[in-house]
Amino acid sequence: MQVFRQDKKRWREFLIRLSRSAELIAPVKTDLLRFEPITDPEQIYLEKNAYFPLKEWFFRKEEVIFQFTGNKLTVPAFTAPKQRIFFGVRKCDLNAIRHQDMVFINDVGDPYYKAQREHSLLLGYHCNTAPSQYCFCGSMDLVDFFDLMFYDKEDYFLIEVGSDRGEALIAEHHDLFEQHNRLITQDEKHIPGADRLKVKDIAHLYDNPGWKEGVDKCLSCGACTALCPTCYCFEFHDETKLADPQSGERKRFWSSCQLQDFTRVAGDHVFRKEREERFKHRIYHQLDYFREKYGIQMCVGCGRCIEGCPTRIDFVDIINRMERPEKKEA
Amino acid sequence: MIKETTRKKGRADANPSKAKPLIGVFGITGCAGCQLSIIFNEDDILDLIDLVDLRAFPFIKEVNPEEHFDICIIEGLVADKGDLERIKKLRGNSKMVVSLGACACTGCVPAYRQFTLKENYEHLLYQKMEEIQDVKPTPIDAHIKVDYYIPGCPPDKKQILAFIKGAVAGRIPKPYDSPVCIECRQNGNACLLDVGKPCLGPITAGGCDAVCINGGFECWGCRGPTKDMHLDLMIDILRAKGFDDRFIQDRMRTFVGLKLPMLEKVMKKTSEVNVTFKGMPAQRGLP
Repeated sequence: MQVFRQDKKRWREFLIRLSRSAELIAPVKTDLLRFEPITDPEQIYLEKNAYFPLKEWFFRKEEVIFQFTGNKLTVPAFTAPKQRIFFGVRKCDLNAIRHQDMVFINDVGDPYYKAQREHSLLLGYHCNTAPSQYCFCGSMDLVDFFDLMFYDKEDYFLIEVGSDRGEALIAEHHDLFEQHNRLITQDEKHIPGADRLKVKDIAHLYDNPGWKEGVDKCLSCGACTALCPTCYCFEFHDETKLADPQSGERKRFWSSCQLQDFTRVAGDHVFRKEREERFKHRIYHQLDYFREKYGIQMCVGCGRCIEGCPTRIDFVDIINRMERPEKKEA
Repeated sequence: MIKETTRKKGRADANPSKAKPLIGVFGITGCAGCQLSIIFNEDDILDLIDLVDLRAFPFIKEVNPEEHFDICIIEGLVADKGDLERIKKLRGNSKMVVSLGACACTGCVPAYRQFTLKENYEHLLYQKMEEIQDVKPTPIDAHIKVDYYIPGCPPDKKQILAFIKGAVAGRIPKPYDSPVCIECRQNGNACLLDVGKPCLGPITAGGCDAVCINGGFECWGCRGPTKDMHLDLMIDILRAKGFDDRFIQDRMRTFVGLKLPMLEKVMKKTSEVNVTFKGMPAQRGLP
């Protein structure tokens, strides 16, 4: 893939131009680090990865699936947002989008998700070192998935092109880039300090007593699934109009496998009633079940579920110690 | 007046043949804030009144017969003998009784005095008014059968609407039993436990859109514990954050003490094991 060079002065100019023609969304530090629309590149904060993932921009928290009047359904028009450019997206989050694309676009062709994904350009930002102590993306099978990837080299960026749309964007602003005559090496792509998870396959560990440590510290609050960039479970609710209870909207909301209500079915039966079953279900879906269906692990190793957990349950550490109990830490 | 007729004319009546359900809204001992929550649905209140037959609502109406209700919504808790007689009469005259608000559902703050000795509060009770006869403060389901609960101090105004809409259409909404954290995290809030505030969100049923935490104020648990709460862990976490047992017990009892009869036992049991949390911030903020 082609590589370009851009010094940081021109990078600012580049982003200012982008923000004029499209909605530019990048990590901003408020109380926590989150992706927000920006107008000034000075707002961008790149020291750490965002606390909240990018998924809410595509798989929205609340989505009207259809309106109904009696038995008559109307699907709302898919008004795709105007061109959106995401800057500062890390490798884990880019792959998370790829995994959600597999589910929502390739598998089921979800038009609501698709409408959000269209007209979105993904400009990545490479982590020179693991930005958080909880990162473990190096243990997962991540691939290059971006329109442009920015490698931070102190005074300048090296920019790797990942798609035709990325290339077109550079062509459009060619005065701000220089051709670079070497490729990005595998060494440069490596993120040091991010290969914490030592176990590749956890299928045989399901009945291991080691899980208890995590379950005992789990509140089933669902913070892990809300902050996860790949978790995509949802539920539906009908909201009827007060003036006419026969008409209303069916809406899709985020849900969480950590809740008893998530598996509550007719007759009030709950499939995963025990906390342990729910706790393990998330981890097994991330590392095992998804692979059975799609061939890769769903988890991208961003570590948000650990950083955002009220009790900091480190499932990576728990799994590692199950496989090598002799290395038990205090 | 003209405006009123146009508004009515433009709408198809959902089920003209069916009589509108008769509704009564009553308050016993309480602050009336929950009844106010119904009225706070300003944009929808006219449609609401079209949808049901509001037979009695002493808070806003002049004539209020106390009989023949399909749905009787009661706010407040039983704190004197008059309350008790009143709710028994209402129960007898209603097909369905709904507890509105934390007092009616869980006893809320007024029931807190159950956890202290009588000599601590006796001097504060009405001494000279014979018509007020003190009884043990209890939520209404301690005395009569309650068919549906709309919890919260105050309840979410949208949830009240959703219930009435659902009841009219024969689809009563299922109670919300997931913790406050679900909506809180989805709203993009920072975890208040992380900054050392004694937030009870993880063990408290949500449905409130995490309104307190959205405003930077920790959850006090007004909507009652979830069925699935991890109470002993919650206590351990608050201890690890530096809160003492007295504080934890008081905080947990403020709104829903009567729903946590096991609290003392669990506190004792957990105090025997010293649980540590690796990596969890332990600093104590201002309570």
